[in-house]
Amino acid sequence: MLRWIRDGGQTSEFEGVALVHLDLLYRAALRLTHNRAEAEDLVQETWLRALRHFDQFDPGSNCRAWLLTILRNAFLNRLRREGREILESDMTATEAGAARLEEASVARSSPEEDFFQTVLHGDVDRAMKTLPLPFRLVVTLADLEGLTYKEIAQVLDCPIGTVMSRLSRARQLLRKELVTLAREHGYSEESR
Amino acid sequence: MNCREFDARLHAFVDGELDAGPMADAEAHVSTCPDCHGRANGERRFRQLLRRQPKEAVPPEFRARMLALARRERSRKKVRIWLGAPALAAAVLLLAFVLMARALSTGGHEPEMVGNLVDKHLAYAQLEAPAEFHSTERPAVAAWFRQRTGLRVTVPDLSPAGIQLVGARIAEAEQRKVAYLFYEKGHVLMSVFMVPEVGRRAPLAGRPMSSGGHEYLAQERQGLRTVSWRDGETLFSLVSTLGYDDLLECADQLRAERDRETRL
Repeated sequence: MLRWIRDGGQTSEFEGVALVHLDLLYRAALRLTHNRAEAEDLVQETWLRALRHFDQFDPGSNCRAWLLTILRNAFLNRLRREGREILESDMTATEAGAARLEEASVARSSPEEDFFQTVLHGDVDRAMKTLPLPFRLVVTLADLEGLTYKEIAQVLDCPIGTVMSRLSRARQLLRKELVTLAREHGYSEESR
Repeated sequence: MNCREFDARLHAFVDGELDAGPMADAEAHVSTCPDCHGRANGERRFRQLLRRQPKEAVPPEFRARMLALARRERSRKKVRIWLGAPALAAAVLLLAFVLMARALSTGGHEPEMVGNLVDKHLAYAQLEAPAEFHSTERPAVAAWFRQRTGLRVTVPDLSPAGIQLVGARIAEAEQRKVAYLFYEKGHVLMSVFMVPEVGRRAPLAGRPMSSGGHEYLAQERQGLRTVSWRDGETLFSLVSTLGYDDLLECADQLRAERDRETRL
């Protein structure tokens, strides 16, 4: 109903609906690109696409998931253009590799909770950077930005089951990396 | 639910993503199994650690640009709607003439450029740490620009005027990379912009002023003072609430150092 009551027209509604998600888009873009200029560029491209296709946006649906979907597609297009494409088969291989790793060492291991104390400022950023792109994206959306599985499934254009498996593997990898960093800071399991 | 079944649902459980039935089963299991209870807690704390990460916001300048884009798109859409209605074509033409006449009377786009730079100054002055590269070392700042943009940027020594270098950033205005230096006198910010110019160069607007044998153009905008000039292919602009005496002294110093660098 709101869109008919406002007299500013469609674009003013775009600002009203989309501007609150600008920070989120920027942070997601930073996690994808690791580069401020590139992130701004990516967000700007997303913003323009969203503006131009705003008539296709269903006002009753989820705006942040819609915007993030555009952002992800724009980013994947860039990779493709630059020949850095992440092929679905690579991704499957990465996930299989991660699954093996998980089975071998992490699954049902004792909780390494204490290492949380030694995680330093910047460690999470550093650890995130080591994650392969699909894992980085899913952790960013779920744990850093608090999206629901359903929203993430929309953004990644995949079934919720895939979100769940990818997310649990991504967290295992991230945790493992953080433990490694914590060890570098002198945390040792003997000291617990 | 046994441990194995719980394991498969651990993440969904901690994320609160289980349906009511499985959620109740999982809670029942956790309450009787210390091992799974411990792991659920571990996952929760891990989640909290991630949620606690600092949340970065977009730079104010960038936010303003996105707003402007949205507004521009709106006016484009309006024009498209008009073009679709033949009866209004004449009105569109008339509007185009009015806009052109206005553009000519304000001397093209350069006054907009100074306005644009003033907006940047205002946006960054609100930040605690506006610089992208913090340094009080002039050679370090010049090297940073060279590395990042290939631009030769003169970073003047304004300390004789009691004005200290704070840092720098690369900004963008009208699709051009702009070198942006931050200086500070006490708690007053002064922005020094260097805009490389190619092609169209509309005349600069402003009141003529002269200092140290140089000519400048001064403009007041939004309560700020600006001093601008051109040198070769570059537009220079100083923006601050500082007085014209300070601004002109800084401008003279910048020009002197620039001349010296060019001669070398």
